[in-house]
Amino acid sequence: MVFDFIRLELLKSIRSTAFAKSALVAVFLGFLAILLLAYVFLLGFVLKEIIIKILEVVDAIDFVNSNLIYFFLFEFMYRYFIQKLPVIELEKFLHLPISKSKIIHFLLIRSFVSPLTLISLLLFAPFAFQEVALKFGKSSGVMWLCSILLTSWSLHWLMLWFKQKFEDSLIGIAIVFGVMLLGVGSSYYGWYNLGNILKPLFELASISPIPLIVLLLIFFGLYFMAYQYYFQNAYLEDLGEEETIRFANQSLGVFSRFGMAGELADLEWKLIIRHKKSRTFLMLSGFFLLYGLIFYTNPAYQAEEGFSHMFIFVGSFITGIFMIQYGQLFLSWNSGNFDFFLRNREGVNALIKGKYLLLIGISCMCFILSVPYAYFGWDFLLIHLATFLFNMGVVIHLVVYISLWKPKPMDLNKGAMFNYEGVGIAQFFMIIPMMGAPYLVYLPFALFINQYAGLLALGILGITGILVFPKLSALSINRVMQNRYEISSSFRQEL
Amino acid sequence: MITVQGLKKQYKDAVVLDVESLEIPRSECFGLVGNNGAGKTTLFRIMLDLVRASAGQVLINGEDVSKGEAWKAKVGAYLDEHMLLSYLTPDEYFATLRKIYGLSEEDLKLHLAKFTEFFNDEILSKKKYIRDLSKGNVKKVGIAAAMMGNPEVVLLDEPFENLDPSSQNRLKKFILREKETSQVTFLISSHDLNHVTEICDRIVLLEKGKTIKDLKEKELMRGELNEYFGT
Repeated sequence: MVFDFIRLELLKSIRSTAFAKSALVAVFLGFLAILLLAYVFLLGFVLKEIIIKILEVVDAIDFVNSNLIYFFLFEFMYRYFIQKLPVIELEKFLHLPISKSKIIHFLLIRSFVSPLTLISLLLFAPFAFQEVALKFGKSSGVMWLCSILLTSWSLHWLMLWFKQKFEDSLIGIAIVFGVMLLGVGSSYYGWYNLGNILKPLFELASISPIPLIVLLLIFFGLYFMAYQYYFQNAYLEDLGEEETIRFANQSLGVFSRFGMAGELADLEWKLIIRHKKSRTFLMLSGFFLLYGLIFYTNPAYQAEEGFSHMFIFVGSFITGIFMIQYGQLFLSWNSGNFDFFLRNREGVNALIKGKYLLLIGISCMCFILSVPYAYFGWDFLLIHLATFLFNMGVVIHLVVYISLWKPKPMDLNKGAMFNYEGVGIAQFFMIIPMMGAPYLVYLPFALFINQYAGLLALGILGITGILVFPKLSALSINRVMQNRYEISSSFRQEL
Repeated sequence: MITVQGLKKQYKDAVVLDVESLEIPRSECFGLVGNNGAGKTTLFRIMLDLVRASAGQVLINGEDVSKGEAWKAKVGAYLDEHMLLSYLTPDEYFATLRKIYGLSEEDLKLHLAKFTEFFNDEILSKKKYIRDLSKGNVKKVGIAAAMMGNPEVVLLDEPFENLDPSSQNRLKKFILREKETSQVTFLISSHDLNHVTEICDRIVLLEKGKTIKDLKEKELMRGELNEYFGT
């Protein structure tokens, strides 16, 4: 039975249209995953060296023990964003004569087979043997490592329960935000020292087996909790709940001035708000607005005079992240209803213009929201203005034009994290012009005249692009019209 | 109204559609029947310029569908849910179409009033996205949308599928009435022989992409079709 399930799983991944069409993407991602895990392992190996040599801490074990809690808080965060829920598979099996408990056990355990499970092992196993085992003996090292693994793996089950129960709800976001605050509050502001509070617990783990036993109980307890929750909610109505209507019969007033294109921009806005994947994209561009805080205040990027060249890149991202992220899957967002636009007169034309309008509108919002960065210096306002103009005049057309290379269908109701549906080679190559184009214009002027001349060049080219907008957007429209049959049939998944 | 000339659709070696010529005059109710995979939907898709023909052409009012777009204003169609915006509520969807067709609010009200019975209070002013409606109700939305903007030609793929018996009846009456009063040309594909023989003036039978029968005699239709399908 279990083997049949496993075989089905394998077939599913091999035969999925996404896999067949973008085997290259799959290989690339697999490679990326291995690379990342290798980095984690490497980090684990030099963890001791880093702590002693670079951080100049005498007692490495003491240091690790008092900081482990932050690792777990961080793990909670990344698990929340990355970990996938296994329930989607459930409805395919529910009607079959297999006992529900068997299916759920299988799905839960299968979800455990994931790179995330390995991270804590790879990171702490070398340290446990190099340092803890050396100091306290082998059995202590094993006990210490096991309690870390059990904590990390307990988080896995906790997250399965937590995400299923609270995802996409305000409570969920509030709790995640609370966890973040818990970490930040203790380390940055020093209201309390979370590390020191929980340190004895991990110290105890290397001397006594009691924490190990307790954690083992917690591990199984949380597994059982997740199991119970899934078992009780294994009904179709609980899995894919109908959403409450968002923005019913409302429209964004601004767009109505732009005629048909405005209508469609408004539709697109509804599409974004009403699908999980696009909502996540929107949320992410909100987060990216804070991107500047990492770079602009970082001493590593402070130049002697003027500003670091790096900031052009940061500026492009802050003002254009939504355009880049959403625009790179330009037509795939409409893969479910592309025929609608084909069937209506001037439908494709209006659709594409509407999308442009929306991208420009949201980029304007991002630019306006980024104005407070002027607090760090007027240079940043100039950088944002120049990159914003350049994004709107030049990069937007590059992104859209490249994205029209074999657009792929995708399911908008899946989450956005590590979901590469709709992503093809074009989306990977896109990074080159996106990052390269601003520097291609900026650098010659910046190096030979001065940085402000570089910004001016970006701005002027951007404005020129905006002025010839109709011509440039017509290129994309024509391209869609020429390829309409291929696009439409690939969206219907006929190929 | 619609002229098909030497139409062919080929995927590599497999010919899925091969229609020598077909002439559909105005206000005809044209039925298309055939087994699964006979090419009914492909023919409709080519007529709507959603699929490229390998050879030949389709003319609507003398205009080649793959060359221009003017015909789109005169043609309504509902083939499948790809033609809907399923993330809208039915009300929002109709409002969007109203703007695309350039109708007034009053026009839309009048249009939807024609469907009051057909909708059976399940469609309008409900707080539900189209994607969350039942299959039959999605079909009703699609059909009502296809009829918007006073089209001269309406293409419907399996319109009776998933509808409850009383809705099927209402739809039949509606089609006959529209044909009578507004001279609308209907192209309907269906597996339900009773329904098509009842409302269609002419039925074409497709087999492996070829038109093997073109029946115009109402009395003989049913017999011939029953004989072919072995029913």
